[in-house]
Amino acid sequence: MKISERYGAEVMVIGAGSAGMRAALAAAEAGAKVLLLNKGPLAKSGITLTAAGGMQVPSQPGDSQELYWQDTIRSGYGLADENLVWAMAEDAVARAADAERYGARFVRDADGNLAIGRFPGQSQPRNRFFKGGGIGLVTALAGACRRNNIIVMDEILITGLLRTWSGSDGAVAGAIGLNLRTGQLVRFDARSVILATGGCQWLWEVNDCPADATGDGQVLAYRAGAELIDMEMVLFYPTVIVWPESLKGAFVHYEFLSPEILDGNVYDTAGAALLPKPLPGRDEAMRLMAAAITAGRGTAHGGVLWYVGDSPQGTEKVRKTLDTLQYNYIRSHGVDPASDRIEVAPGAHYLMGGIAINEECRTNIAGLFATPECAGNVDGANRLAGNGITATQVFGARAGYYAAQWAGEHAAAADAAEVDAELARIAAKVAASGKNARHVPAIRRKLRAAVQRYAGVSRDGEGLRRLLAVIDEVQGELAEVRVPFAGVYNQQLKDVLELDSMCETARLVAGSALRREESRGHHFRSDFPQSDDANWLKHTSVKLADGGPVYGTRPVARIGRYDNC
Amino acid sequence: MPENAIFVKALRFDPSRESAGRFEEYRVETAQPLSVMALLAKIHDQDATFACRTSTCFKGRCGSCLVRVDGRDVFGCTALIYPGQSIVVEPHSQFKVIRDVAVDFAAPQAVAGDGVGAE
Ligand SMILES: Cc1cc2nc3c(=O)[nH]c(=O)nc-3n(C[C@H](O)[C@H](O)[C@H](O)COP(=O)(O)OP(=O)(O)OC[C@H]3O[C@@H](n4cnc5c(N)ncnc54)[C@H](O)[C@@H]3O)c2cc1C
Ligand code: FES
Repeated sequence: MKISERYGAEVMVIGAGSAGMRAALAAAEAGAKVLLLNKGPLAKSGITLTAAGGMQVPSQPGDSQELYWQDTIRSGYGLADENLVWAMAEDAVARAADAERYGARFVRDADGNLAIGRFPGQSQPRNRFFKGGGIGLVTALAGACRRNNIIVMDEILITGLLRTWSGSDGAVAGAIGLNLRTGQLVRFDARSVILATGGCQWLWEVNDCPADATGDGQVLAYRAGAELIDMEMVLFYPTVIVWPESLKGAFVHYEFLSPEILDGNVYDTAGAALLPKPLPGRDEAMRLMAAAITAGRGTAHGGVLWYVGDSPQGTEKVRKTLDTLQYNYIRSHGVDPASDRIEVAPGAHYLMGGIAINEECRTNIAGLFATPECAGNVDGANRLAGNGITATQVFGARAGYYAAQWAGEHAAAADAAEVDAELARIAAKVAASGKNARHVPAIRRKLRAAVQRYAGVSRDGEGLRRLLAVIDEVQGELAEVRVPFAGVYNQQLKDVLELDSMCETARLVAGSALRREESRGHHFRSDFPQSDDANWLKHTSVKLADGGPVYGTRPVARIGRYDNC
Repeated sequence: MPENAIFVKALRFDPSRESAGRFEEYRVETAQPLSVMALLAKIHDQDATFACRTSTCFKGRCGSCLVRVDGRDVFGCTALIYPGQSIVVEPHSQFKVIRDVAVDFAAPQAVAGDGVGAE
């Protein structure tokens, strides 16, 4: 294995979704020379594209930073980092204005008034909507990146970070990546690195994310010694489509079932409505639905039925509300969301845990920064609608600013041993003639089926231990796979490297879920069905030491406001 | 024609090593209609050396899925193929091939307006 190309920058951003592009822009505006890398084609990969595009912005009369903060803290069941949420509530209005400055547009009526929604858990109407949804936001940010002289290299899969030396106090100094266009390995040198790679939801069979969400960033950070927290906290969106086959992974809005919007419901096969009104938070809703499915009241495909066809709001409102790209996509598959019963089930949607950061988006590794969704500890045990995108804009901007500042003050050179170690790790997956390569899809299916079954909406100790055993087996099988290192667009090698990340992330999710012996928000343990505030108002944490994960806990940052909500 | 499979003739081409491509035939077992994009992902699972895009936006708008089917450029995520059908898949005509049907996208396209959705 050898390095064929080498590039350098002051700030390197890994991942060009809404978070990474926002980070790159902030770093460039702070004067840094920025390199932005993405494993898929720019603006054609990543979770942000799938987003409907809601963003929480506390700018309406009667709303405030304080109320937004309170809503988010309350929704997180005591696990949201109160300082991070305060930062988010403080910056959201300014970051929404920035998004418009970069060319994104919010939906407005004919008179120019912002369309504002209010969704479960929001005490005030606070949700704005990007025109064109997540794609509208990504397209605007991509244009702004080009105008700001940010060097964009897409089709680069980053495989490992490089540090100044291989100890826990080594600073980050760059990365190694696979250039899919050329099929060659590339070395990047940088003074600071921002991880903005999104989540790991592709681990679950039922999820509503693109196949990119393989947990790469969490694993890159973990392997470099960073602390991850609350990895068990995965948000399950209640209404992800499970049938027909061709629509699997698309979603219909849970929020639209609310009385003020379309006032529909989710039904079991006998026609009983499953959700109370007013609509509960997502965690409660997904549990009610999962319970009905487990009790045999679902369809043959493991779904229950989302239906708005008899909305008391009238067919005109249904038609208008469902006249968006997202619903036209569903129509193009022969399903009419305005009148058909749609088979849905809770699916993995958002990773609330992730890389631990502070308000400056610093990790515990010098020079390494991270931003949600790939960073954790912002939302806690449940996330409000619209907080995902707000977090990418607020913390993306903070990560970029502070990473640029860091790069101005520090130089870093990667240790040759770090480069050699990463090349050796890749070499171990490669052989000219290949070996067991055709087993990769089956290995991946086995992993995803186990994660779905044992780390889904309902978990218990026995299942999680079983999952850890399956992960051992799967990693053993993957260790016997070799793929050729040859040719352009080496998707075979990409598959193997991503599956390697998936195995590692699955282990951290399972290990963290096993340690949290209580139920809170989206983490439900059937063997510990109650919340245990006396012992568990704290984060789970995990770090790599001596070749394996070492788990612990850490207190939740408080700023003294939680008692008042 | 059996009604439990879709037949695909797909272009195989590695411009870094070959001067021209050739077609390869695949049979995908399915009793359900599939989007071209899902079909290509299933072919990639059968034959890992076949390169195609797998990241979807579920909106029919990002263009990651652009390919050419039976001589027409289409969005692969919204073009449905039914069991019993046979199709020919080639790279989208407006972009340079990287490998097989995975192409090199130059620039993101403009997006028209959209309505109001929460998530
Ligand atoms: C269906 C759906 C709808 C949603 N709707 C909303 C909403 O309306 N409002 C809201 O607030 N939140 C919403 N969310 C959540 C929100 O959209 C996401 O949390 C957010 O967009 C994530 O942005 P990101 O930039 O962190 O990640 P991404 O958009 O996933 O970007 C990460 C990028 O990193 C790249 N990458 C990954 N690994 C590597 C690697 N190893 N090397 C190089 N590049 C890599 C990926 O290719 C990708 O382009 C939704 C989520 C889903 C799934
Ligand atoms: S996958 Fe986005 S348009 Fe087809």
